[in-house]
Amino acid sequence: MSKEKSKKKIFTRRNFMITGGVLTTGLVVGVAGLNAHVNKKIRKYSGKGMGEGSSINAWIRIAPDNKVTVAVGRAEMGQGVYTSIPMLIAEELEVPLENIEVIQPQPESPYANTFMMTQKEPNIFKAYELAEKVMAYLPMVMTGGSTSIPDGFNNMRYAGATAREMLKQAAADEWGIERSKVSTENGYVINNDTKAKLSYGDLSAAAREIDLAELPELKNKSDWKLIGTKAKRLDIPEKVDGTAEFGIDIRKEGMLYAAMIHPSVIGGKITGIKNKEEVEGMEGVKRVLLTDYGVAVVANNTWRAKNGALMLEVEEDNSNNQEISSATIQTSLEEILDQEPLATPDTEGDVDAILSDNNQVIESTYKVPYLAHAAMEPLNCTVLVNDDSAEVWVGHQSSSITQTAVSEVAGVSKKNVTVHTTYLGGGFGRRAESDFVLKATAVAKMMKGIPVQTTFTREEDMKNDMYRPAALSRFKGVVNPNGEIHAWDNMIAIQSVSNSAITRIDPSFAPKPKDDIATVEGAAHLPYIMKNKRVAFGDYKSPIQVGFWRSVGSSQNAFFTESFMDECAHAAGQDPYQFRLAKLGKTPRFKAVLEKVAELGNWGAQDGKYRGIALHKSFGSIVGEVCTITKKGDKEFSIDDFACAIDCGTYVNPDTIEAQMEGGIVFGLSAALYGQITWQNGSVVQSNFPDYDMVRMNVSPSIKVHIMENDHYPGGVGEPGTPPAAPALANALFAATGQRIRELPIMNAGYKFS
Amino acid sequence: MKLNINGKDIDVEVEPGMPLLWVLRDELNMTGTKFGCGVSSCGACTVMIDGVATRTCTLPVGNAQNKKITTIEGIGSPSNLSAVQQAWVEHQVPQCGYCQSGMIMAAEALLDEIPNPTDDDIDAKMTNICRCGTYTRVRAAIHTAAKLRSQATDLLGSL
Repeated sequence: MSKEKSKKKIFTRRNFMITGGVLTTGLVVGVAGLNAHVNKKIRKYSGKGMGEGSSINAWIRIAPDNKVTVAVGRAEMGQGVYTSIPMLIAEELEVPLENIEVIQPQPESPYANTFMMTQKEPNIFKAYELAEKVMAYLPMVMTGGSTSIPDGFNNMRYAGATAREMLKQAAADEWGIERSKVSTENGYVINNDTKAKLSYGDLSAAAREIDLAELPELKNKSDWKLIGTKAKRLDIPEKVDGTAEFGIDIRKEGMLYAAMIHPSVIGGKITGIKNKEEVEGMEGVKRVLLTDYGVAVVANNTWRAKNGALMLEVEEDNSNNQEISSATIQTSLEEILDQEPLATPDTEGDVDAILSDNNQVIESTYKVPYLAHAAMEPLNCTVLVNDDSAEVWVGHQSSSITQTAVSEVAGVSKKNVTVHTTYLGGGFGRRAESDFVLKATAVAKMMKGIPVQTTFTREEDMKNDMYRPAALSRFKGVVNPNGEIHAWDNMIAIQSVSNSAITRIDPSFAPKPKDDIATVEGAAHLPYIMKNKRVAFGDYKSPIQVGFWRSVGSSQNAFFTESFMDECAHAAGQDPYQFRLAKLGKTPRFKAVLEKVAELGNWGAQDGKYRGIALHKSFGSIVGEVCTITKKGDKEFSIDDFACAIDCGTYVNPDTIEAQMEGGIVFGLSAALYGQITWQNGSVVQSNFPDYDMVRMNVSPSIKVHIMENDHYPGGVGEPGTPPAAPALANALFAATGQRIRELPIMNAGYKFS
Repeated sequence: MKLNINGKDIDVEVEPGMPLLWVLRDELNMTGTKFGCGVSSCGACTVMIDGVATRTCTLPVGNAQNKKITTIEGIGSPSNLSAVQQAWVEHQVPQCGYCQSGMIMAAEALLDEIPNPTDDDIDAKMTNICRCGTYTRVRAAIHTAAKLRSQATDLLGSL
């Protein structure tokens, strides 16, 4: 295997970080020849991606005027990472947050997201584990899995602290005194005896040459001035005056605009264009291009390109997959429920014995549909391909995936592909895929020397998504008269997300469906005490492309498990909150969250309103939600209020966390109320917001959030707000109507919300 | 064709059927106004035309002649934010930010029409989609902006 080849193979193993899978021997092979001093290299890294100037390490550059540039290798998609990462650095560096300018570095090793793979608290300043070395070597620079803070919490503070100590040493050298005789404040080093000051800007050139013998101590939590405060986000000024630059806003000299149409049936291929000349003769149209992915119309304006694309008449090979429809999918999923499970990742006791002994079995089957991501900014990517170099401008969750995708299609080596990561108009997992970069690069390659911005219309975006898969989940439960869960039997039928997503990149490295932890995340290893349990799943094989959708497996499994918990409570004749609480004796953090959210949501209030409760852990954080609704008519409700309590361990910016809970809840509600992608003759039926609607202002509840105080290592916050929203609402509807919601979206059952 | 955008007369040479959105974005490089759906559903492309919040992805540019077009670029500058923009910063409204130009323009038009809107007014007039789900903050910011505007009016009155 050539070196280049082995690199590529390893690169594709993003399943590991997303599913938390294991390191296999296949991965280790590629590590041979890895720079053994990569750690030292990171400490001394010059910060190539940061441009000219005195970079103290890979993250921090300080200009003579004391302006601080911080390289954030994570994508800003609304989760506030362009503020939270600088907060971690600024806390230790002792600079005002407002003095920081954020830039996106090139995809290089220091910026790798090691936590994604290891799910272990990293400290790359001390040492890399093997798995971390691999991530750095590839490098895997990626934003997803709610990992930016878990990955950066130690690393970014050490980046700030080591830079601070290097600046202090440079000042001490200047003054001819010991480092212990100087201190730092607001971007200056101060001589403790004489009170003389030197600015960081004046010291940075000397500081970068300094070798620290040992890692400095990090500040104690009690000494934090910035971490834990509601610091104002650095990206907001640009986002209120229209100047924030998203991928779709890129404008380059001589740039052209492209629109694409895709095969009308999944897995199909467009083989020819019947009216190429006619379309090329349209106003503003420059070229009509047949690519491997579909037909692109290149014009001098997006609207003219789109009009050209709408006029296209094409020849297609649609011989496969025409039989795929929502009905056939449902039949297949039902069959899987009755077959032997593919895997049983969570068992305790003897479920079968209890189920056969006892005739008081509660049995329910739950169902969710496919879902589209529907980020507000339609997918787009701007690429310039030259003879031996390429440039790409795109809002993408991974600069390294972007670079590799452009490199492969343009036929240009990775080191000659410059990646410009813009703001993302929403990510939610969709912008971790490479498809839109591959397509845009294929177009630009046929327009060599000209920057081409390929924009997918909302319709093309929605019909060619990598969907959250449909799933069925069947439960059989036995509840003792005293309210104990005596048996919990859960069987899930679903297509493997990780298998599908990784197969798109490199089939030989896709995890097998039986090993895909994403399938049962949030269904296995529940916090509740259950005497006998079995959580199993079967695999639905399909040519449908499925992918990571905000909160992944938890997006459906929380609805399944927390709804069935309510059924168990009802069967036991107990209050759903008390029923859950009694089963959290071994999980005090869960118990505390549940108690807090019940208080915050006025659980048990006699106010004519109806309430539902749900509790779920995902991405390292525990979230409880109480939904309060008012009955306005037959099957007509208002969703008045959501109370939310989150235990995400140590928190960095509480305002950002509140925003993520608010947004996560609304995201979950949109799916619960309206979200469904259905299939007919191998095609997606829905195409745009009129038939794939979202919660809007009139339906959106008021939301209050409480963040639990503790000293645990940080969990994620981008995704965990979403999973409990659907079951909290569905449980409230049960309280109001006595009708159990076992199928999403809720609108299909005739409910209306205002 | 002559357009009046943010108080300036601008000449553009385009077919009159081109939606105003694409004239702004691709002909004039005024990219603050966003493309979201192309069917007047999501509101990301909202601007004010003669003071009325209007979705521009389906509005032929010919229909915007001889009218006052106000875009996100025309309501304030970083050093002189409008009351709505100030309120948006105060409440830290945007997440990804992509829908916010349209959301802010819809809020400006709402407050021009109803200076002190109720929650029901906000529900009725603010129909834009925010996929990040910033609605609670948008609502709070509109109430704050209403106060900021009335304070400014009071101040002017007292001069």
